[in-house]
Amino acid sequence: MSFGERLKRDFSTMTLVLIPVAIVINIVVGQIVAALKLPVFLDSIGTVLVAVLAGPWAGLVTGTLSNVIWSMVANPDAIYWTPVAAIIGLIAGLCAKYGLFREWWKVIVTGVLVSLAAAVASAFISVWLYGGITASGISFVTIYLVESGRGLIESVFAASFIVEPIDKIITCLAAWGIIKGMSLRYVSRFPRAENVSA
Amino acid sequence: MNETIGLYIDRDSPLHRLNPLTKVVFTICIVILGFISPWAWITFAIPVLILIPMSFWGQIGVPYLRALLKIVVPLALILLVMQSLFLPGETTWFRFWFLSVEYESVERSLTLVSRLVSMTASFILFLFSTHPSRLMTDLTRRGVSPIVTYLFISTIQLIPLMRTKANTIMDAQRARGLETEGNIVTRSKALMPMLAPLVFGSLVDVEERAIAIEARAFRVPGKRTHLTIVPDSQAQHLFRIALIVLTVVLIGVRLWLSLTS
Repeated sequence: MSFGERLKRDFSTMTLVLIPVAIVINIVVGQIVAALKLPVFLDSIGTVLVAVLAGPWAGLVTGTLSNVIWSMVANPDAIYWTPVAAIIGLIAGLCAKYGLFREWWKVIVTGVLVSLAAAVASAFISVWLYGGITASGISFVTIYLVESGRGLIESVFAASFIVEPIDKIITCLAAWGIIKGMSLRYVSRFPRAENVSA
Repeated sequence: MNETIGLYIDRDSPLHRLNPLTKVVFTICIVILGFISPWAWITFAIPVLILIPMSFWGQIGVPYLRALLKIVVPLALILLVMQSLFLPGETTWFRFWFLSVEYESVERSLTLVSRLVSMTASFILFLFSTHPSRLMTDLTRRGVSPIVTYLFISTIQLIPLMRTKANTIMDAQRARGLETEGNIVTRSKALMPMLAPLVFGSLVDVEERAIAIEARAFRVPGKRTHLTIVPDSQAQHLFRIALIVLTVVLIGVRLWLSLTS
Protein backbone atom coordinates (compact mmCIF):
# COMPACT_ATOMS: atom_id res chain seq x y z
CA MET A 1 0.00 0.00 0.00
CA SER A 2 1.46 3.38 -0.96
CA PHE A 3 1.89 6.14 1.57
CA GLY A 4 -0.95 8.20 0.06
CA GLU A 5 -3.38 5.28 0.19
CA ARG A 6 -2.34 4.54 3.76
CA LEU A 7 -3.04 8.16 4.72
CA LYS A 8 -6.41 8.07 3.02
CA ARG A 9 -7.32 4.95 5.00
CA ASP A 10 -6.03 6.41 8.29
CA PHE A 11 -8.05 9.59 7.91
CA SER A 12 -11.41 7.83 7.53
CA THR A 13 -14.62 9.58 8.49
CA MET A 14 -14.52 7.83 11.88
CA THR A 15 -11.03 9.25 12.48
CA LEU A 16 -12.09 12.75 11.43
CA VAL A 17 -14.96 12.66 13.90
CA LEU A 18 -12.81 11.15 16.65
CA ILE A 19 -10.06 13.82 16.40
CA PRO A 20 -12.16 16.78 17.68
CA VAL A 21 -13.47 14.65 20.55
CA ALA A 22 -9.89 13.61 21.38
CA ILE A 23 -8.68 17.21 21.36
CA VAL A 24 -11.46 18.24 23.71
CA ILE A 25 -10.63 15.24 25.94
CA ASN A 26 -7.02 16.54 26.06
CA ILE A 27 -8.17 19.99 27.09
CA VAL A 28 -10.96 19.08 29.52
CA VAL A 29 -9.05 16.22 31.22
CA GLY A 30 -6.05 18.53 31.55
CA GLN A 31 -8.28 21.02 33.32
CA ILE A 32 -9.89 18.42 35.63
CA VAL A 33 -6.42 17.17 36.62
CA ALA A 34 -5.36 20.75 37.31
CA ALA A 35 -8.55 21.31 39.35
CA LEU A 36 -7.75 18.23 41.45
CA LYS A 37 -4.21 19.66 41.92
CA LEU A 38 -2.51 16.41 40.91
CA PRO A 39 1.22 16.66 40.13
CA VAL A 40 0.83 15.47 36.50
CA PHE A 41 -0.50 17.06 33.28
CA LEU A 42 -2.38 14.19 31.55
CA ASP A 43 -3.13 16.55 28.70
CA SER A 44 -2.42 14.14 25.87
CA ILE A 45 -4.68 11.14 26.54
CA GLY A 46 -6.80 11.98 23.48
CA THR A 47 -3.71 12.33 21.29
CA VAL A 48 -2.46 8.87 22.26
CA LEU A 49 -5.98 7.45 21.74
CA VAL A 50 -6.11 8.74 18.14
CA ALA A 51 -2.50 7.68 17.48
CA VAL A 52 -3.30 4.09 18.47
CA LEU A 53 -6.64 3.83 16.64
CA ALA A 54 -5.72 5.77 13.49
CA GLY A 55 -1.93 5.75 13.17
CA PRO A 56 1.01 8.09 13.78
CA TRP A 57 0.00 10.76 11.25
CA ALA A 58 -3.47 11.15 12.71
CA GLY A 59 -1.78 11.31 16.14
CA LEU A 60 0.53 14.05 14.90
CA VAL A 61 -2.40 16.07 13.53
CA THR A 62 -4.31 15.65 16.81
CA GLY A 63 -1.37 16.82 18.91
CA THR A 64 -0.70 19.83 16.70
CA LEU A 65 -4.32 21.00 16.51
CA SER A 66 -4.72 20.35 20.21
CA ASN A 67 -2.10 22.91 21.19
CA VAL A 68 -3.09 25.41 18.50
CA ILE A 69 -6.72 25.35 19.65
CA TRP A 70 -5.83 25.32 23.34
CA SER A 71 -3.77 28.44 22.82
CA MET A 72 -6.69 30.04 20.98
CA VAL A 73 -9.30 29.38 23.65
CA ALA A 74 -7.42 29.55 26.92
CA ASN A 75 -3.66 29.78 27.12
CA PRO A 76 -1.73 31.62 24.34
CA ASP A 77 1.60 30.16 25.56
CA ALA A 78 0.54 26.64 24.59
CA ILE A 79 1.38 27.36 20.95
CA TYR A 80 5.15 27.29 21.68
CA TRP A 81 4.92 23.68 22.86
CA THR A 82 3.06 22.43 19.77
CA PRO A 83 6.04 20.37 18.48
CA VAL A 84 6.06 18.40 21.76
CA ALA A 85 2.38 17.50 21.38
CA ALA A 86 2.91 16.54 17.72
CA ILE A 87 5.85 14.26 18.58
CA ILE A 88 3.84 12.54 21.34
CA GLY A 89 1.16 11.62 18.77
CA LEU A 90 3.73 10.47 16.21
CA ILE A 91 5.75 8.28 18.58
CA ALA A 92 2.69 6.77 20.26
CA GLY A 93 1.35 5.86 16.81
CA LEU A 94 4.65 4.28 15.74
CA CYS A 95 4.86 2.27 18.98
CA ALA A 96 1.32 1.00 18.47
CA LYS A 97 2.13 0.08 14.86
CA TYR A 98 4.90 -2.23 16.06
CA GLY A 99 2.64 -3.99 18.54
CA LEU A 100 3.54 -2.04 21.67
CA PHE A 101 -0.08 -1.39 22.60
CA ARG A 102 -1.37 -4.97 22.85
CA GLU A 103 -0.69 -5.76 26.51
CA TRP A 104 -0.51 -3.56 29.57
CA TRP A 105 3.22 -4.00 30.16
CA LYS A 106 3.96 -3.16 26.53
CA VAL A 107 1.89 -0.02 26.99
CA ILE A 108 4.31 1.00 29.76
CA VAL A 109 7.18 0.57 27.27
CA THR A 110 5.26 2.86 24.89
CA GLY A 111 4.88 5.36 27.71
CA VAL A 112 8.64 5.35 28.34
CA LEU A 113 9.48 5.78 24.62
CA VAL A 114 6.92 8.59 24.23
CA SER A 115 8.26 10.34 27.31
CA LEU A 116 11.85 10.18 26.02
CA ALA A 117 10.82 11.82 22.75
CA ALA A 118 8.68 14.40 24.57
CA ALA A 119 11.52 15.16 26.98
CA VAL A 120 14.02 15.81 24.17
CA ALA A 121 11.54 18.01 22.28
CA SER A 122 10.48 20.05 25.30
CA ALA A 123 14.08 20.48 26.47
CA PHE A 124 15.01 21.89 23.05
CA ILE A 125 12.12 24.36 23.11
CA SER A 126 12.89 25.28 26.69
CA VAL A 127 16.54 26.03 25.87
CA TRP A 128 15.91 27.78 22.58
CA LEU A 129 12.95 29.92 23.59
CA TYR A 130 13.40 30.38 27.33
CA GLY A 131 17.13 29.91 27.77
CA GLY A 132 16.30 26.79 29.81
CA ILE A 133 14.35 28.47 32.57
CA THR A 134 10.58 28.62 32.01
CA ALA A 135 7.83 29.71 34.37
CA SER A 136 6.55 26.18 35.04
CA GLY A 137 7.20 23.80 37.93
CA ILE A 138 9.76 21.77 36.02
CA SER A 139 12.19 24.72 36.20
CA PHE A 140 12.59 24.21 39.95
CA VAL A 141 14.10 20.82 39.19
CA THR A 142 16.32 22.49 36.56
CA ILE A 143 17.43 25.21 38.98
CA TYR A 144 18.16 22.64 41.70
CA LEU A 145 20.40 20.74 39.28
CA VAL A 146 22.13 23.95 38.11
CA GLU A 147 22.82 25.06 41.67
CA SER A 148 24.26 21.65 42.53
CA GLY A 149 26.96 22.30 39.97
CA ARG A 150 25.77 20.90 36.64
CA GLY A 151 25.72 22.79 33.35
CA LEU A 152 22.51 24.53 32.34
CA ILE A 153 21.75 22.55 29.17
CA GLU A 154 22.53 19.27 30.92
CA SER A 155 20.21 20.26 33.79
CA VAL A 156 17.33 21.16 31.45
CA PHE A 157 17.52 17.76 29.75
CA ALA A 158 17.91 15.91 33.06
CA ALA A 159 14.88 17.72 34.51
CA SER A 160 12.75 16.78 31.50
CA PHE A 161 13.81 13.14 31.78
CA ILE A 162 12.86 13.14 35.47
CA VAL A 163 9.41 14.71 35.06
CA GLU A 164 8.10 13.33 31.75
CA PRO A 165 8.06 9.51 32.19
CA ILE A 166 5.56 9.39 35.09
CA ASP A 167 3.11 11.61 33.23
CA LYS A 168 3.41 9.81 29.90
CA ILE A 169 3.17 6.29 31.38
CA ILE A 170 -0.08 7.23 33.13
CA THR A 171 -1.32 8.89 29.93
CA CYS A 172 -0.67 5.77 27.85
CA LEU A 173 -2.22 3.47 30.45
CA ALA A 174 -5.31 5.71 30.56
CA ALA A 175 -5.64 5.58 26.76
CA TRP A 176 -5.20 1.80 26.91
CA GLY A 177 -7.91 1.58 29.59
CA ILE A 178 -10.28 3.64 27.43
CA ILE A 179 -9.71 1.38 24.41
CA LYS A 180 -10.21 -1.75 26.55
CA GLY A 181 -13.47 -0.19 27.77
CA MET A 182 -14.80 0.18 24.21
CA SER A 183 -16.72 -2.66 22.58
CA LEU A 184 -14.83 -4.70 19.96
CA ARG A 185 -17.39 -3.71 17.36
CA TYR A 186 -16.72 -0.04 18.06
CA VAL A 187 -12.92 -0.39 17.98
CA SER A 188 -13.10 -2.30 14.68
CA ARG A 189 -14.66 0.75 12.97
CA PHE A 190 -11.29 2.54 13.21
CA PRO A 191 -8.57 2.15 10.55
CA ARG A 192 -5.90 0.70 12.86
CA ALA A 193 -8.00 -1.57 15.04
CA GLU A 194 -5.35 -4.30 14.59
CA ASN A 195 -3.03 -2.24 16.82
CA VAL A 196 -4.93 -3.25 19.94
CA SER A 197 -6.41 -6.68 19.25
CA ALA A 198 -3.88 -9.45 19.74
CA MET B 1 -21.02 33.73 13.96
CA ASN B 2 -21.67 35.88 17.00
CA GLU B 3 -21.50 33.37 19.84
CA THR B 4 -18.68 34.05 22.30
CA ILE B 5 -15.87 31.62 21.63
CA GLY B 6 -12.51 31.46 23.29
CA LEU B 7 -10.71 34.77 23.54
CA TYR B 8 -12.57 36.54 20.70
CA ILE B 9 -14.20 39.87 21.62
CA ASP B 10 -17.04 40.88 19.32
CA ARG B 11 -16.78 44.50 18.07
CA ASP B 12 -17.58 46.24 14.81
CA SER B 13 -14.20 47.90 14.26
CA PRO B 14 -11.88 48.38 11.27
CA LEU B 15 -9.45 45.90 12.88
CA HIS B 16 -12.18 43.27 13.15
CA ARG B 17 -13.26 43.91 9.55
CA LEU B 18 -9.76 43.31 8.13
CA ASN B 19 -9.42 40.10 6.17
CA PRO B 20 -8.19 37.34 8.55
CA LEU B 21 -5.25 36.51 6.28
CA THR B 22 -3.97 40.07 6.61
CA LYS B 23 -3.91 39.64 10.38
CA VAL B 24 -2.25 36.20 10.11
CA VAL B 25 0.54 37.66 7.93
CA PHE B 26 0.92 40.66 10.25
CA THR B 27 1.17 38.43 13.35
CA ILE B 28 3.77 36.15 11.74
CA CYS B 29 5.85 39.17 10.66
CA ILE B 30 5.79 40.60 14.19
CA VAL B 31 6.97 37.25 15.58
CA ILE B 32 9.83 37.11 13.04
CA LEU B 33 10.73 40.71 13.79
CA GLY B 34 11.15 39.79 17.48
CA PHE B 35 13.64 37.07 16.54
CA ILE B 36 15.76 39.10 14.14
CA SER B 37 15.86 42.30 16.20
CA PRO B 38 19.44 42.89 17.39
CA TRP B 39 18.43 44.86 20.50
CA ALA B 40 15.88 43.85 23.13
CA TRP B 41 14.48 47.37 23.41
CA ILE B 42 13.25 47.29 19.79
CA THR B 43 11.41 44.06 20.53
CA PHE B 44 9.92 45.58 23.69
CA ALA B 45 8.83 48.63 21.68
CA ILE B 46 6.67 46.53 19.32
CA PRO B 47 3.81 45.90 21.76
CA VAL B 48 3.97 49.42 23.19
CA LEU B 49 4.23 51.39 19.93
CA ILE B 50 2.36 49.16 17.48
CA LEU B 51 0.13 46.60 19.17
CA ILE B 52 -1.46 48.71 21.92
CA PRO B 53 -2.45 51.56 19.54
CA MET B 54 -3.83 48.92 17.18
CA SER B 55 -5.95 47.45 19.96
CA PHE B 56 -7.51 50.89 20.57
CA TRP B 57 -8.13 51.21 16.83
CA GLY B 58 -9.95 47.87 17.13
CA GLN B 59 -12.02 49.13 20.11
CA ILE B 60 -10.58 46.43 22.35
CA GLY B 61 -7.92 48.59 24.01
CA VAL B 62 -9.10 48.17 27.60
CA PRO B 63 -9.57 44.38 27.60
CA TYR B 64 -6.30 44.08 25.65
CA LEU B 65 -4.35 46.07 28.24
CA ARG B 66 -5.99 44.04 30.98
CA ALA B 67 -4.96 40.80 29.25
CA LEU B 68 -1.38 42.06 28.89
CA LEU B 69 -1.25 42.96 32.59
CA LYS B 70 -2.75 39.62 33.60
CA ILE B 71 -0.97 37.22 31.24
CA VAL B 72 2.15 38.83 29.78
CA VAL B 73 3.54 41.14 32.48
CA PRO B 74 3.59 38.60 35.38
CA LEU B 75 5.16 35.96 33.11
CA ALA B 76 7.79 38.45 31.91
CA LEU B 77 8.67 39.51 35.46
CA ILE B 78 8.93 35.95 36.79
CA LEU B 79 11.10 34.92 33.86
CA LEU B 80 13.31 38.02 34.16
CA VAL B 81 13.99 37.38 37.85
CA MET B 82 14.53 33.63 37.52
CA GLN B 83 16.67 33.86 34.39
CA SER B 84 18.79 36.73 35.74
CA LEU B 85 19.52 34.64 38.81
CA PHE B 86 20.10 31.27 37.22
CA LEU B 87 21.30 31.67 33.65
CA PRO B 88 25.09 31.28 33.53
CA GLY B 89 27.32 34.35 33.13
CA GLU B 90 30.86 35.62 33.76
CA THR B 91 30.81 39.22 35.02
CA THR B 92 29.05 39.51 38.37
CA TRP B 93 26.82 42.59 38.48
CA PHE B 94 25.77 42.36 42.10
CA ARG B 95 25.18 39.67 44.73
CA PHE B 96 22.97 39.30 47.74
CA TRP B 97 22.81 36.43 50.16
CA PHE B 98 23.94 33.36 48.19
CA LEU B 99 22.53 34.53 44.88
CA SER B 100 24.44 36.39 42.22
CA VAL B 101 23.24 38.29 39.17
CA GLU B 102 25.58 38.32 36.19
CA TYR B 103 25.64 40.97 33.53
CA GLU B 104 25.44 38.38 30.72
CA SER B 105 22.46 36.55 32.19
CA VAL B 106 20.46 39.78 32.50
CA GLU B 107 21.26 40.66 28.89
CA ARG B 108 20.34 37.19 27.65
CA SER B 109 17.17 37.20 29.74
CA LEU B 110 16.07 40.56 28.33
CA THR B 111 16.46 39.22 24.78
CA LEU B 112 14.52 36.04 25.53
CA VAL B 113 11.75 37.78 27.48
CA SER B 114 11.34 40.56 24.91
CA ARG B 115 10.73 37.94 22.20
CA LEU B 116 8.17 36.09 24.31
CA VAL B 117 6.41 39.35 25.19
CA SER B 118 6.09 40.59 21.61
CA MET B 119 5.09 37.13 20.33
CA THR B 120 2.44 36.55 22.98
CA ALA B 121 1.16 40.13 22.75
CA SER B 122 0.72 39.96 18.96
CA PHE B 123 -0.90 36.57 19.27
CA ILE B 124 -3.40 37.79 21.87
CA LEU B 125 -4.30 40.79 19.68
CA PHE B 126 -4.94 38.41 16.78
CA LEU B 127 -7.14 36.12 18.89
CA PHE B 128 -9.08 39.03 20.40
CA SER B 129 -9.97 40.48 17.00
CA THR B 130 -10.41 37.41 14.78
CA HIS B 131 -13.32 35.00 15.00
CA PRO B 132 -12.12 31.39 14.42
CA SER B 133 -15.02 30.62 12.05
CA ARG B 134 -14.26 33.70 9.96
CA LEU B 135 -10.60 32.73 9.78
CA MET B 136 -11.38 29.18 8.69
CA THR B 137 -14.06 30.26 6.18
CA ASP B 138 -11.54 32.53 4.53
CA LEU B 139 -8.74 29.95 4.55
CA THR B 140 -11.01 27.30 3.01
CA ARG B 141 -11.84 29.68 0.17
CA ARG B 142 -8.11 30.11 -0.38
CA GLY B 143 -7.59 26.38 -0.75
CA VAL B 144 -7.16 24.92 2.74
CA SER B 145 -8.84 21.50 2.86
CA PRO B 146 -12.42 21.52 4.24
CA ILE B 147 -11.32 18.60 6.41
CA VAL B 148 -8.98 20.90 8.36
CA THR B 149 -11.80 23.39 8.71
CA TYR B 150 -14.13 20.68 9.98
CA LEU B 151 -11.60 19.53 12.61
CA PHE B 152 -11.06 23.10 13.76
CA ILE B 153 -14.62 24.34 13.95
CA SER B 154 -16.09 21.17 15.39
CA THR B 155 -13.45 21.13 18.17
CA ILE B 156 -14.18 24.73 19.07
CA GLN B 157 -17.90 24.01 19.21
CA LEU B 158 -17.38 20.88 21.31
CA ILE B 159 -15.33 22.56 24.05
CA PRO B 160 -18.19 24.40 25.83
CA LEU B 161 -20.44 21.32 25.51
CA MET B 162 -17.81 19.07 27.08
CA ARG B 163 -17.09 21.58 29.83
CA THR B 164 -20.76 21.61 30.78
CA LYS B 165 -20.79 17.81 30.72
CA ALA B 166 -17.65 17.66 32.90
CA ASN B 167 -19.19 20.03 35.46
CA THR B 168 -22.43 18.02 35.55
CA ILE B 169 -20.47 14.81 36.15
CA MET B 170 -18.34 16.46 38.84
CA ASP B 171 -21.45 17.74 40.65
CA ALA B 172 -23.25 14.41 40.30
CA GLN B 173 -20.30 12.44 41.70
CA ARG B 174 -19.85 14.91 44.56
CA ALA B 175 -23.54 14.58 45.38
CA ARG B 176 -22.98 10.81 45.65
CA GLY B 177 -20.25 11.49 48.19
CA LEU B 178 -17.11 11.45 46.04
CA GLU B 179 -14.26 13.24 47.81
CA THR B 180 -12.48 15.70 45.51
CA GLU B 181 -10.45 17.38 48.20
CA GLY B 182 -7.98 16.08 50.77
CA ASN B 183 -4.64 14.34 50.41
CA ILE B 184 -3.15 13.23 47.11
CA VAL B 185 -4.43 9.64 47.41
CA THR B 186 -8.02 10.84 47.87
CA ARG B 187 -7.72 13.26 44.97
CA SER B 188 -6.20 10.61 42.68
CA LYS B 189 -9.02 8.22 43.56
CA ALA B 190 -11.52 10.87 42.43
CA LEU B 191 -10.01 10.92 38.95
CA MET B 192 -11.48 7.69 37.57
CA PRO B 193 -15.17 8.29 38.52
CA MET B 194 -14.92 11.72 36.88
CA LEU B 195 -13.06 10.81 33.71
CA ALA B 196 -14.73 7.54 32.77
CA PRO B 197 -18.30 8.87 32.27
CA LEU B 198 -16.99 11.93 30.44
CA VAL B 199 -14.72 10.07 28.03
CA PHE B 200 -17.03 7.14 27.27
CA GLY B 201 -20.04 9.42 27.02
CA SER B 202 -18.39 11.56 24.38
CA LEU B 203 -17.04 8.58 22.43
CA VAL B 204 -20.56 7.17 22.07
CA ASP B 205 -21.55 10.15 19.90
CA VAL B 206 -18.61 9.67 17.52
CA GLU B 207 -20.08 6.85 15.44
CA GLU B 208 -23.43 8.57 15.04
CA ARG B 209 -21.78 11.80 13.91
CA ALA B 210 -19.62 9.90 11.39
CA ILE B 211 -22.73 8.39 9.79
CA ALA B 212 -24.45 11.78 9.83
CA ILE B 213 -21.70 13.66 7.99
CA GLU B 214 -21.16 10.84 5.51
CA ALA B 215 -24.87 10.98 4.70
CA ARG B 216 -24.37 14.67 3.91
CA ALA B 217 -21.66 13.96 1.31
CA PHE B 218 -18.82 15.33 3.45
CA ARG B 219 -16.12 13.39 1.60
CA VAL B 220 -17.34 13.89 -1.95
CA PRO B 221 -14.43 15.12 -4.09
CA GLY B 222 -14.76 18.19 -6.28
CA LYS B 223 -15.07 21.93 -6.04
CA ARG B 224 -17.30 23.43 -3.34
CA THR B 225 -19.24 26.67 -3.38
CA HIS B 226 -19.29 28.97 -0.37
CA LEU B 227 -22.23 30.32 1.56
CA THR B 228 -20.38 33.34 2.95
CA ILE B 229 -17.36 35.05 1.46
CA VAL B 230 -15.13 37.01 3.83
CA PRO B 231 -14.38 40.36 2.17
CA ASP B 232 -10.85 41.15 1.02
CA SER B 233 -9.48 44.18 -0.81
CA GLN B 234 -6.73 45.01 -3.29
CA ALA B 235 -5.21 47.38 -0.71
CA GLN B 236 -4.94 44.57 1.84
CA HIS B 237 -3.44 42.28 -0.78
CA LEU B 238 -0.72 44.86 -1.49
CA PHE B 239 -0.22 45.47 2.24
CA ARG B 240 0.38 41.75 2.82
CA ILE B 241 2.91 41.57 -0.01
CA ALA B 242 4.65 44.70 1.29
CA LEU B 243 4.86 43.21 4.80
CA ILE B 244 6.32 39.94 3.52
CA VAL B 245 8.87 41.76 1.33
CA LEU B 246 9.84 44.05 4.21
CA THR B 247 10.32 41.08 6.56
CA VAL B 248 12.44 39.20 4.02
CA VAL B 249 14.58 42.32 3.49
CA LEU B 250 15.01 42.72 7.27
CA ILE B 251 16.04 39.07 7.61
CA GLY B 252 18.60 39.71 4.85
CA VAL B 253 19.95 42.82 6.59
CA ARG B 254 20.21 40.94 9.88
CA LEU B 255 22.07 38.03 8.27
CA TRP B 256 24.42 40.43 6.47
CA LEU B 257 25.12 42.31 9.71
CA SER B 258 25.86 39.15 11.68
CA LEU B 259 28.11 37.81 8.90
CA THR B 260 30.16 41.00 8.54
CA SER B 261 30.60 41.81 12.23
